[in-house]
Order: sequence, then C-alpha cells, then structure tokens
Amino acid sequence: MRRGQGRYARGPHPVRRALGRGLLGLLPWLAAAAVAVLLAPVTLVAAGSAAFGWWRGWPPRRLYAAAAASLPMVVAWLAAVAAWPVSGAAAPAGVGPGPRWLRMAAAPYRAWLAMARLAEHGHLAAAAIAAAPPAVPLGICVGGLAWAYRCFRMESGAGGLTPAAPAAFDERLWRRQVRTAKAMLAAPGALPLLSPNGHVVTGATIRSVRHRAGRAAALPYSRLRSHQVVIGSTGTGKTTLLLRLWAGFMAAGLRGYARGAAHRPLLVVLDCKGGASSRKVADRARRVLRDAGARSTAIWPDEASLSLWALPPDRLVTTLLDLIEHGTGGAAYYTDVMESLVCLAVFAPCGPPASAADFLARLDADWLAAAYGAVGDAGAVATARSGKRAFDDVSLRFRALWRRLGAGLDGGGSFADADAWYCILEGTAEAAVAEAQARALTDLLAHYAVGGVREILLAVDEFSSVSRRLPIWRLYERARSLGLAVQVSAQSWEGLADSEDERYRIAATAEGGIWLLRTPRPGPVAELAGTRSYVDTSRRFDGAGVWDGSGFSRTRLVPVLDADIVRRLDVGQVAYVYRGGVTYVQVKRLTGRQAALAPAAVREPAAGAAPGYPPGWAPSPGPDGLADTVPLPRERPASSARVADVPDASEVLDEAFGTRRE
Amino acid sequence: MAQRHALPGTNVINSQRHQSPSESPEVRRGPGLAVRNSAALLFAADMYGVQLDQLAALTGGERSARAAIARWRALGYAQTARLGPGPAWLWVTRGGITACGLRYTPAQPALGRLAHIRAVAAVRIALEATAAYQSAGPFWRCERRIRARHGVGVRQHLPDAEVHWPDEAPVAWAGECWAVEAELTAKTVARTTQIMREILSRTGDYGCAAADAAVPGRPPRHARVLYLCSPAALRTVVRARAELGPLGARVEVRDLPPGALL
Repeated sequence: MRRGQGRYARGPHPVRRALGRGLLGLLPWLAAAAVAVLLAPVTLVAAGSAAFGWWRGWPPRRLYAAAAASLPMVVAWLAAVAAWPVSGAAAPAGVGPGPRWLRMAAAPYRAWLAMARLAEHGHLAAAAIAAAPPAVPLGICVGGLAWAYRCFRMESGAGGLTPAAPAAFDERLWRRQVRTAKAMLAAPGALPLLSPNGHVVTGATIRSVRHRAGRAAALPYSRLRSHQVVIGSTGTGKTTLLLRLWAGFMAAGLRGYARGAAHRPLLVVLDCKGGASSRKVADRARRVLRDAGARSTAIWPDEASLSLWALPPDRLVTTLLDLIEHGTGGAAYYTDVMESLVCLAVFAPCGPPASAADFLARLDADWLAAAYGAVGDAGAVATARSGKRAFDDVSLRFRALWRRLGAGLDGGGSFADADAWYCILEGTAEAAVAEAQARALTDLLAHYAVGGVREILLAVDEFSSVSRRLPIWRLYERARSLGLAVQVSAQSWEGLADSEDERYRIAATAEGGIWLLRTPRPGPVAELAGTRSYVDTSRRFDGAGVWDGSGFSRTRLVPVLDADIVRRLDVGQVAYVYRGGVTYVQVKRLTGRQAALAPAAVREPAAGAAPGYPPGWAPSPGPDGLADTVPLPRERPASSARVADVPDASEVLDEAFGTRRE
Repeated sequence: MAQRHALPGTNVINSQRHQSPSESPEVRRGPGLAVRNSAALLFAADMYGVQLDQLAALTGGERSARAAIARWRALGYAQTARLGPGPAWLWVTRGGITACGLRYTPAQPALGRLAHIRAVAAVRIALEATAAYQSAGPFWRCERRIRARHGVGVRQHLPDAEVHWPDEAPVAWAGECWAVEAELTAKTVARTTQIMREILSRTGDYGCAAADAAVPGRPPRHARVLYLCSPAALRTVVRARAELGPLGARVEVRDLPPGALL
C-alpha cells in the first residue's frame, strides 16, 4: 500500500495519462472534422480544388487566381439577394428579410440553411446550387491554402511518411507538370506565337522558381532585343527553340514596326555548322519566318551574296587583314608589310576597290606607283616600290582567301535587301574558312547597324566552330549602342568560347537570359543563376518508421537552377534563366505551313538575276533537280509594293473619264 | 405611305396612294407581273438610290425607266420621290432588297449624301460603258456592300467602291482590285494624303480582323486607287498624290464624268 501510494503519488496512472493525452491530441482533429462537416460544401470544393491542383501540378497561386475569378459570381449573387423582393416567388437561396446590409451579411448563413433544408428533402442538386455562390470561391481558396501547405511541407522536408517522400513527391509533381504542359501544347490555339499584349510565347510553363508562374511562357520583345545564350546538346530541341525565338522576334518586331514604334526588324543567323542539315534548317527557318511576317529570307551564300566592299575604307583594311591568319614573333614583320600594301590598295586615289578582282589587280607595285604618282604622293610611291617583292606573296594569300571564301562576299547585296539572312558557314568541314566568313559577316553587320535603321538580332548557332576568331564579346560591348542584339548558341558550356574567362564573360552579359537545354554540365550556369533561401528540416525517428514530433529547421541557400533537373530534361524542354529566377518550359514547335514557292516557279532557270530578286540570287539545285530553298522577292515596303509594275490602265480610264490629270 | 415617308418639301412622283404588295390588285392577280430590268434594280439597291436620268441610262431610255419604276412600285420593290434638285430619286425598299437577295438595311437616300451618291453612280455607269469593262466583266463592289460587311464602330476609311478584275480578263490589269473614290469637295491635302496612304497600304478585306488590315509583307489589297474629282477637289487631290512620292504612281486622278454633279 505504501509502495503503491508512493508509486502513484505524483499523478494519475500512466495508462490514464496516456489516454488523456491521446484524447487531447484528438480534440483539434475532431473540431476540424466537425467544422468540415458543418461546412460540407466548402470542404468538398476545397478537397476537389486541392486534388485538382495536385493532379495538374499547378502552383497554389493559380488556385487563388481561380478563386478570384469566381468572385464576380459572388458579387452578382449578393446583389440579387439585396435587391430580390422577400415575398417574391422563386427567390434565390440566401434571400431573407431585413435591411440590405443585413441581407448581404446574412446571405451565406441563409444559403447554408437553404442548402441544409434542400439536402434534407433529398434535393441534392438544388442544395449544391444553393450553396455554390459562397462555397465555390471560399472552397477553392481553402484548397489552394491546403495545396500550398502540402507543397511547403514536402519542399522543406517536414512532410511525408518516409525520408524519401519529399524527393518522390517532387519527381511525381514534375511528371504531372510536364504532362499538363504537353497537354497545353496539344490544345489548338492555346499557344500563339505572340500573346495579346505582344509578348513572344515560347511554350508552356512546366515549373517556375522565382518567376511569375503563368500557363504560357512568354517573353517581352525587349528581352529578345538583349543578348541571350542558348546551350543544349545535339537532339535536345535547340533548333526548335531557336526557330521559335527567331519567329517571335520577327513577328513582334514587325508588329512594333507597323505600329510605328520601332524600326523594321532584321534577323541575321550565322549557322556555323554547315552541310545538308544546315540547309534543311534554313529552309525550315524561311517557312517559319514567312509565317511570322517576314517578306524575304536570304540564304547566304547559296542564293544571296553580300558585298564586303561596301565597308568604309578604314574598316575594310582591318577586315581584310583579319581575314588572313597572322603569326606572331618574327611573322609580325610580314603582317606589317601586308598592312601597308593593303592600305595602299584600298586608299588608292581612285577610290576603294569595288570587288575582289579589283582589289587583287591593285596589288601590283607598278599600278600603285602610277596611281599615287598621278596625285603627287611621293611617300606612297616609295612605299609601293619598297614593298615590291612582297606584293606577290600578299596577292597569293588573298587569291587563296577569295578562292576559299567563294563569291558570297563579293556580290552586290546588302543586309537591307531582306528581312532575314540565314548565313551557312561550313564550320564543320572548313573551320578556317568559316571563321573568316563569320568575321567578315559580323563586320559587315556592325557597319550596317551603325545606320540605325533596323532592329537587329544576330544569332550565332554552333558558335564553337568560329569562336576562335570571332570575338563575340567585343561585339556585345558595342552592340547596345548599335541597336544590335546577339544570341549565341552552343552545344555545351565549353563550346561558348576557348577560355573560361570568355565563357563567363559571354554568359554573364546575357541580359536577355540564358536558355539551357539538356546538357551534362549545367554547373556554371547554375552558379550564374544564383541562389534562393530554402527551409531545410531534419526530423527524428521514433521507433520503426514513425516520425517523432521533434526536429530542426534551418534556412539555407540552394541554387535557383536545379542542375539535376537540367541533366534530366527531355527533348523540347528548356530551363530559362533570367535575373535570379528560372522557368522550365516545354517549347512549342513551329512548323512552316506553306511551301516556300510553287514548284513551277522553282523550275525556272535562274540565270543571272530574276526580276524582283537581288543580283546573283540563284536557287541551288537539290537532289531531284529542284531547288531545295528558294529566294523570296527583294524587300520592298508594303506600301510601295507594285509601284513600278502597275500596268497601264489608261485604255479603260481614258475612255470612261478622259485623260489623266497631273 | 410614300407621302408619309417623303420629307417635307418633296413631291411624290406618283400622286396615287401607294399600296403595299398585298393590297395591290396587280399583285393579287398572281405571277403575271415580271420584274423589268432586274440588273437596274440591283444597281439601285447597291448604290443607295438612283436618279431617274441615270436609271434611264441603265434601262435604255426614259420610257423604259418609267415603266420599270411602275413595275417595281407595284411590286413594292422601290419607292420614288423628288428629294432634291434635278430628276426624282428611286430607292429600293425592304421587299426589293430581299428580292435581290441582299442584306442591306433599307433606307431612303440621305439628303446630305445625294450629290455623292449621284457622283458614284455616274462613275459606275461611265466605267461600265467602256469596252474593256464589258469584255472583262469585273465585279463592282459598292460602298453599301463593303459597309454591310464592315464592323460597327470600327473607324476606317471605306472607299466608295472596289472594282475586282477577274484573273482571266483580257486586260493588262487582270487580277487587280481597284479602289474608287469620288471626290466632290476638297478636303485638306494632309487628310487626302492620309486616306490615299491608308487605301494603298491596306492588305486585308474590309471587315477583317484589325491585325490583318495592314500587315507588312503581304501584297496590298488595292493595286491602285482611282480618284474621280470635281473641279473644286481636283487640285487638292493632285497635290496629295504628289505628297505620296513614288506611291503616287498607283493613284489615278481623273475628272468626274459629265452629268455626275447634282
């Protein structure tokens, strides 16, 4: 007895105490269940909306937006309740006596009473309708809160039955989000190229971190007018993404131009891979761009040519020298000699050369001496004579250069001739030639951009092929003042440039964002994307597989861009990194609808310049003898189209109204 | 009924009381009453209304015109009244518009537009009389037809007509679409230039989505615009055309045909 008294003197029996604790723990659950039953309509809608959010992988914000969208229904219902005569027959649920404010305040309760009465009599559909006005928005909102709580618990590691539950939850959530995005892609008309407010829609949003979570991933046009970087391995959907971005740039730019708010857009693509695949992409680009509103897409050098000789003389000298590789050390002597001779040829008193043949003809000591002697420039004559022995070497090098470059830079065309230029550089087969061509084309473009008459996007695809001699970051630095945006794409981080410094320089100055498709090394971009705060929770096991109630939570920084997700991205999925946030996008593929030109027109022999086409344009024959890509007519402003070729109708007009009035 | 509809100060041509088709003994007789000159009836429906002298030009003489009017009035297809100076006006009623298979809102020609309606009708008659027009057989799309398709509340300048030349027509301008403007009074040069530019840069049909109205890159809807001017408006139109620069090559300026002015 004493032992017993001593044993239980400190409190109730442990079993009773445990039972009491258990009952106390159950009380909040019982209360919640009672409220849930009491507000059954709200509970049902909340459960449904939370389940829907889970099923579609929606962020909670979209459920809140859905609740907000249903508020007009509530307003209309409250207005009806306030205005409805009490004695009127067939009054809506919630109508009752009293002043207006009381009617509106008591409307939810009266609706609930009406719902209960109807349900009691077995009219379940009528009961649901009676309860709907207050229950729908409230239920969706509660469902959103529940779904947000669930997401937070799993993200912070505080939810789930097993330690692996958060990871499994995230993986399943990703799959559902991808499924939802793909369903949106399949819906006809759901993802137009331009949104109503003029943004460029790239695809459906899968998931976003620190970015606004809209259904469609849309970029403002200004973002495409900034430098961008695209990284993705072969076969991950890079070309599809690029075509979408180019078409969006063209469509949005033309819309701004039509509105008078911007200059006409110009897209210049340097496809540095070359070969048959590049030509297929060029043809696809032409179709897509035509659908986007581009009047003409020139394929260089197959169908169109540019003139390097349009550069101003000082710029021409620099470009000509850059086209030829120089050595260092002792070879610098030859570089200086070459520069002197090229300067003499370009700055000759008769004006700069007009073609490669003209330039090569000038690399002659006697010709230069005669030309400069005629204007009394004794210094230039002396220079020409002193370098007489080097002329043959310099001429030989430039002859070899022009032979390799072909006629693409020796024509009469200009970037002004088309809305888009697709330049194919044989970077895979002839890297040195492609590098020289890329250098010349960017110099020409930079010179054209100085005029400030176009909004230009320069897209360099497979940049790694020409990165050795194309200092794109130099172009970056002066591009903004020129109205020129640069978009660089590569298959990997290493393909962006030769040195790590240059890679970081290119990526860090990509103000328009970085597009990251599946790539094995997303680390550097993840590092550039930044970090975000993250609640990390550790919990303690109590027994076999059951969580204890205690644990620790702490805030730590994790990368915004999940490198594991990037490594696992499927074809057509891309992570868009911009200003410390990332949006994962399922890219919507664009397909050119119509053929570039009717086959009958393609069969026309393209000897010389066809009417309406820039000089030198000639379709290249494909395997079946037809041209695989066809040039479009030369650019002309829409308003002045057909000015020149309006046929004479004076026959009928003179007969009807007399002679023309001037 | 015609008396009631006529405006104060106007005289009704036919002093007899107008009868509706159901009341008319001729109609009650059955199908013996044929529609004379149905093309002229369509013309009158398209052009809002037509004056007696212009109708005579369409039907081949004043006598046949009066006979056609009598038939149309008996059928309830048209009404006539002396609305302003010059010959009486004829306009097509709801019954006539329905009989023509058109969907216009029936209305008596507005007094303020009588001169313009007459001028456009005269232009059409003059153009249709040419040999090239008759051999090519183009389609005259009148302003009333354009307006019927045009959205309410959309502020766009509508031409007085469009002439669609068939692709197979034996003329050099086959396949073209012309805009026709009858200019009676002088606007400002700036406004006229703006209208010309709007017409020449238009790419979509009237009534199309606003985004398709003038899309760069698409071929222009109107290959040329034909301005028929009164002496008062001629100078302004010529100056406006000069303001357009090279675009002015697509603007044809001519005098209104004789008898076009009210």
